[in-house]
Amino acid sequence: MNLLILFAALLAPVLAATPATGLSVETPAYSDGLTLSLSWTAPDDAHSLILLRSDQGEAGPWHVAAGPWPGTKAEHQDKVTTDPTKTPPAAHYWYRLVSLDEDTAPPPEADGDDAAAAEQAYVAALLAGQPATAAVQGTPVASWLSASPGYLLLLALIVSVGGLMLWFTDRARKGHEMFIRRMPGIDAIEEGIGRATEMGKPVLYVPGIDELQDIQTIASMLILGQISRKVAEYQSDIVVSCCIPIVREVADEVVGSGYMLAGYPDAYNPKNVRFISSEQFAFTAGTNGIILREKPATHIFLGRFFAESLILAETGYVNRSVQIAGTAEATQLPFFVAACDYTLIGEELFAVSAYLSKDPRLVSSLKASDYVKVFVVVMLVVGTIAASFGSSFFIELFTISG
Amino acid sequence: MKRTVPLILTFLVGLFMVGEYFIPHYRYRIWTAEFLEWGVILAAAAFVLGLINLIQVNLPKVLKRERDWGYKLVMLIALAVTLVAGFTAGEHRDGPSVYKWVYDYTFVPLNATMFALLAFYIASAAFRAFKARNLEAALLLGAAIIVMVARVPAGESLPVIGDYLPRFMNWIMDVPNIAARRAIFIGAALGAVATGLRVILGLERSHLGAD
Amino acid sequence: MLKLLLRFQHMDRRWIFLGMGLSILLPLVFPINFGFKVDERVQALYDSVEALEPGDTVLISADFDPASRPELEPFYRANLEHLFRQDVNVVMVSLWEFAPPLVVPILDEVAARHGKVYGKDYVFLGYKPGKELAIKAIGENIPKTFPTDSKGTPTEELPIMKGFKQAKDFPLLINVSAGFPGTREYVLQIQGQYNLKIASACTAVSAPDYIPFYKAGQLTGLAGGMPGSAQYEKLVYPDGPPDGVRLLASQAINVLNLGHLYIIGLIVLGNIAFFLTRRLED
Repeated sequence: MNLLILFAALLAPVLAATPATGLSVETPAYSDGLTLSLSWTAPDDAHSLILLRSDQGEAGPWHVAAGPWPGTKAEHQDKVTTDPTKTPPAAHYWYRLVSLDEDTAPPPEADGDDAAAAEQAYVAALLAGQPATAAVQGTPVASWLSASPGYLLLLALIVSVGGLMLWFTDRARKGHEMFIRRMPGIDAIEEGIGRATEMGKPVLYVPGIDELQDIQTIASMLILGQISRKVAEYQSDIVVSCCIPIVREVADEVVGSGYMLAGYPDAYNPKNVRFISSEQFAFTAGTNGIILREKPATHIFLGRFFAESLILAETGYVNRSVQIAGTAEATQLPFFVAACDYTLIGEELFAVSAYLSKDPRLVSSLKASDYVKVFVVVMLVVGTIAASFGSSFFIELFTISG
Repeated sequence: MKRTVPLILTFLVGLFMVGEYFIPHYRYRIWTAEFLEWGVILAAAAFVLGLINLIQVNLPKVLKRERDWGYKLVMLIALAVTLVAGFTAGEHRDGPSVYKWVYDYTFVPLNATMFALLAFYIASAAFRAFKARNLEAALLLGAAIIVMVARVPAGESLPVIGDYLPRFMNWIMDVPNIAARRAIFIGAALGAVATGLRVILGLERSHLGAD
Repeated sequence: MLKLLLRFQHMDRRWIFLGMGLSILLPLVFPINFGFKVDERVQALYDSVEALEPGDTVLISADFDPASRPELEPFYRANLEHLFRQDVNVVMVSLWEFAPPLVVPILDEVAARHGKVYGKDYVFLGYKPGKELAIKAIGENIPKTFPTDSKGTPTEELPIMKGFKQAKDFPLLINVSAGFPGTREYVLQIQGQYNLKIASACTAVSAPDYIPFYKAGQLTGLAGGMPGSAQYEKLVYPDGPPDGVRLLASQAINVLNLGHLYIIGLIVLGNIAFFLTRRLED
């Protein structure tokens, strides 16, 4: 009670501000079930605003949900609980917005056991001394599908790629020939392995410097499977230089499997799959060391690269090795193009594994993404024309936010 | 069995994580967040394996005095010093410590030196590769020179053309450059979706080895 | 003559390196200053900070390392100056493990100049591993992602964090980005999902990659490389720097002149030699 009197004394003695009007609570579309959208008309004379929330009923007890904000604020997205594992959301919430004048004290900053009591006292003093809106009720609703047009289109696109892939795979199984254009960069990989065998030197493989979950690293691991099998068949050596420890572990398994599939499991030396450093430039220095000291005959850089791309490729150029690079990282493509013999650009990186394996099921999957690409290009042309004529229909159709 | 179990696991986990983008429900998000945390923990645990690999590869070469053993010894000493300094510095490293010394006086200059090498390498790569061998290459060369001149104050200060150069550069960067990048980006994104689906649907098995 | 041109075409690259070194060193010793204009994208970035009200709180993700320091530190300093001058609060995080020893002393230094109080007006929540996963976590729940700040204080107890649980609670997210993870990942992972306002300062090599994001409205402003930093400095200090403050990018940008001209000269000479030798060889 003493606290209540103290806070009441701290609060302004006269009601200088008026309450906000039109406070409303809405459940956002396709919500996670933890968010409510509030909007109101800000009063002209409030210095600041504070939002109170209750999960019991319109009589309270009230807690400070957010604020204080400047008095002009007119909307807020309220997160009803920050950790739903500990505090699951209630079925309903009630809100009141309090207008504060210049002299109103900010919410108390007490810790531990006193915090709840101090907050209760503060809120009681606020409601007793400052103008507040009536309580309005909101009900959080959790959705099981983001059904906005943008999300549905994206989902349809992914399902189409998957569906077309299975369809083409089925056709391939039934004996339909699948055409894949010649890609000199990928053909050069096999030539490079042959060259390494002739020279009695290893092939250097760098799977980029990104984490395992990056799709370029995943593609690179799939390619490494094919390449290590060919290296084993040629009875040559492969050195894999890794920047991320978990990528090394996977590369170790993949190269081991490649040697096993080729029928030479004993020829595999796990010490050739090396973790260098997780620091970008330390990794670059270490890999340059391999290039200059072990002098591999062929360098294959496939994956996600950043500033190290040119340093690696230029060092490789000095070594006079055959260099094949591939990345979907547009900023690094010019460097690879300048310093390597062959460069796989963007999507070509994702086609290597299918191309090398010559497995009709994998080749057919390339066809599926080509069909979807045609669809995307048509949409781009139609959308550009529509936008040029002032229609925002297509832009809204593809907008993804939530 | 050695192939089937990973294929089923890949399919289930892959599908579940794709769902995260389309299912906003908080109960679903609790589980996906849990999976993501497992991912972070796994990646962190692999650092120990990385350390073991570094020692396995380099220590025997030092002990047997193989070729270039001196470099490997320097690397192992640097590794040990940094590791001990990092552990002894504690969790909050604002104050002076051996770790901070190592950071300030070895890591910072070495890191900056490696990055600065780019300036030298780009000069030699550009000199070697940037030749107007045909019309397309000549156009590319012209665009590159305009962008390079316009990016520096000296270009903007040129008489007569100084005012137009930055505008032309912006046009090159905003129109042809963006068009090409978007094309690469869209192609790569579709390729990425196809690769992801190939793995999730079990069409791609080259990484799994034999049964 | 043919022999000389052929030798020039295939000269030892160390000569090229020597020329490049001199092109950088000479302007440092004998500076020549040219004026420069402010790009529309940098102006947009500046305007988005200008639009903030006193008392607003921004989230800064400082994702750069010593390698990219020359390009990004000037922006980072000027940006902190700009924010603190407007009495905007700063919550800082980092996704780069080598960033904290670099960015925290500068944050403390600029904050001290403006009399700002740690925990109330600014805070550094620390480094978070996990790259894209960490970005998603920042979008979802900041106190859970950073349970304590870099000094060990529980995040939920920090006065500055009252009312700030997710990235979308901040009116602006500023990403000082030297690459991966950085602006691209912020845009792809959480900008669209939460409709965030993100401004980016990035290295020159990344800038062309991020221009499409700016054009599509996914970035509210973009400062690329040393020129971007210098232009931002020019906007923040229109009357020149106060005592004790050095405008690092404005000084350094003029060093780039000779380096660029050197590369252009090499390319032009290389092409002349290429054509003459090709004709003579033919």
